[in-house]
Amino acid sequence: MKIAVCVKQVPDSESRINLSGPVPELDTSSFTMIINPYDQYAVEEAVKIKEKLGDGEITVVTVGAEARVREMIKKDCLAVGCDKAVVVDDAALAGADSFAVAQVLAAALKREQFDLVLFGIKAIDDDASQVGIMTAELLGMPHVGYIGDLELKDGALTAKREIEGGVEVVDSPTPCVLTCGKGLNEPRLPSLPNIMKAGMKPVEVLDCAGLGVEVPASLTEVKQFAPPPPRGECTMIDAEDPAAAARELARALHEDAKII
Amino acid sequence: MPNIAVFIEQRAGQIKKVAWQMLSEARKLTDAHGGEVWGVHLHAASCNVNEDAGKHGAHKVFTAEAAEFDRYDSELWTQAMAAFINEHKPDVVLVGSTAMGKDLAPRLAARLKAACVSDAVGLSWDGGLVVRRPVFAGKCYADVATRGDVAVVGIRPNAFALAETGGAAEAATFSPGLDAGAAKAKVSAVETAAAGQISLTEAEVVVSGGRGIKGPENYAMIEKLAEAFGAASGASRAIVDAGWVDYSHQVGQTGKTVAPNLYVACGISGAIQHLAGMSSSKCIVAINKDAAAPIFKVADYGIAGDVFEVLPALTEAVQEIKKG
Repeated sequence: MKIAVCVKQVPDSESRINLSGPVPELDTSSFTMIINPYDQYAVEEAVKIKEKLGDGEITVVTVGAEARVREMIKKDCLAVGCDKAVVVDDAALAGADSFAVAQVLAAALKREQFDLVLFGIKAIDDDASQVGIMTAELLGMPHVGYIGDLELKDGALTAKREIEGGVEVVDSPTPCVLTCGKGLNEPRLPSLPNIMKAGMKPVEVLDCAGLGVEVPASLTEVKQFAPPPPRGECTMIDAEDPAAAARELARALHEDAKII
Repeated sequence: MPNIAVFIEQRAGQIKKVAWQMLSEARKLTDAHGGEVWGVHLHAASCNVNEDAGKHGAHKVFTAEAAEFDRYDSELWTQAMAAFINEHKPDVVLVGSTAMGKDLAPRLAARLKAACVSDAVGLSWDGGLVVRRPVFAGKCYADVATRGDVAVVGIRPNAFALAETGGAAEAATFSPGLDAGAAKAKVSAVETAAAGQISLTEAEVVVSGGRGIKGPENYAMIEKLAEAFGAASGASRAIVDAGWVDYSHQVGQTGKTVAPNLYVACGISGAIQHLAGMSSSKCIVAINKDAAAPIFKVADYGIAGDVFEVLPALTEAVQEIKKG
């Protein structure tokens, strides 16, 4: 089984967001970059499948500056069981939107015949939750999004996805695109020897021209960033007598805020 | 002068409230800038969404009926919505950021080669559509402009208020042009949650527990308060990762995003990852021993007290009020 896993590098959610300038601009200089946490579920699922089948090959695909993603590819992907990597490094893709990135990934994925293409359900920086499903459409593959459970059969799979008030059970033939969420597995940590060995695994670096595609145009553009709307002051209720505090809170929610 | 199409989602014949919220907001835009609001509804059995859609702002409601619309299917829904958009050419298509909408919108946008924006909390029209949405765990907002003939925009449930300013909507039908053979991934079953359980993402009130409840046996205290409020029960990542509560309850960056009218955080310190999932709630209540906890920075009401002392009394007080 040939599996592709698409990953993205994102700022750690602890990173401070600095907005500066008359039109607030995002200062990214203080960001600590990590692998998108959801993509780790995709990586782990691919490795689990390969281990279970006892055979297969896992290719990691990412879009980003090679010098910046190198450590992530090595430590978070190749050292935990992926076999090789493809890095699309093209300065013209800076600021590309989801659909543009999906087109680049689709071009990279079309170079091989994958049975499964795994993504995280979303990236924690832009929270768009689009690229995986868009890539499925561009590849002409079915997709199952937001999976929390996966069972593979011969040439087919059954995945479960949470919906409001329940779970959908979805059957699909392969090849298929899956977007992976928490609850699917527990991503493993790389061991030191495996990190050392990962340095030997092949990493192919190419740009859009190398993929044989034009740099796709973005259809969305961030005009400006803005701080979140300010929230009002917190009304602190004296907690000296907890029961009285609870009654006062209930009264305030009922009479002042009129919520209950 | 935008014509705005609003996807009126149904599951098992039930309409999602976010549809009415989107119609209400779309109508505000067209009242100010011209254009029309169109409801678009796919259904299996007979339906009557016209009256509600009109009331909430739709000028017209386009419906398509097919036996296949009995159960959600990414491919068939994409085909139907693409057929509608190609025939009627709306400038903007709004889709609720629900389990279905988040699955449908990217596939639809990619098929149409259209701009796609997810999880919007604000819409404005400035010669073109500008969409406001939270990014970086809600630490800042981005104003996103879209290009092209049509934009597909996901709307966060509860981001927009309901308005009943519309009147009667004109009824029309359209042909969904289904090619069932192209649908490869099929929903074979839907397992429904236990009766009486309120869905987190749709709840008007959410009561969540964190580390402060000290152990899995005390989550019942959260559930009791949730029951008194008629609320869904949520959890912080810490207690989900500790195995105290199932992951389906997790609110936050690697869990669910909720925006209820009231969010009650009990024994939750308010890490940025948690705030990412709940900070757009209308009213936030924090109950936590540590008065310096960051949760109080986003809260509207706070009690710096012990959840074990406050929650039972709060449960009783809420029950009293609910009884009238």
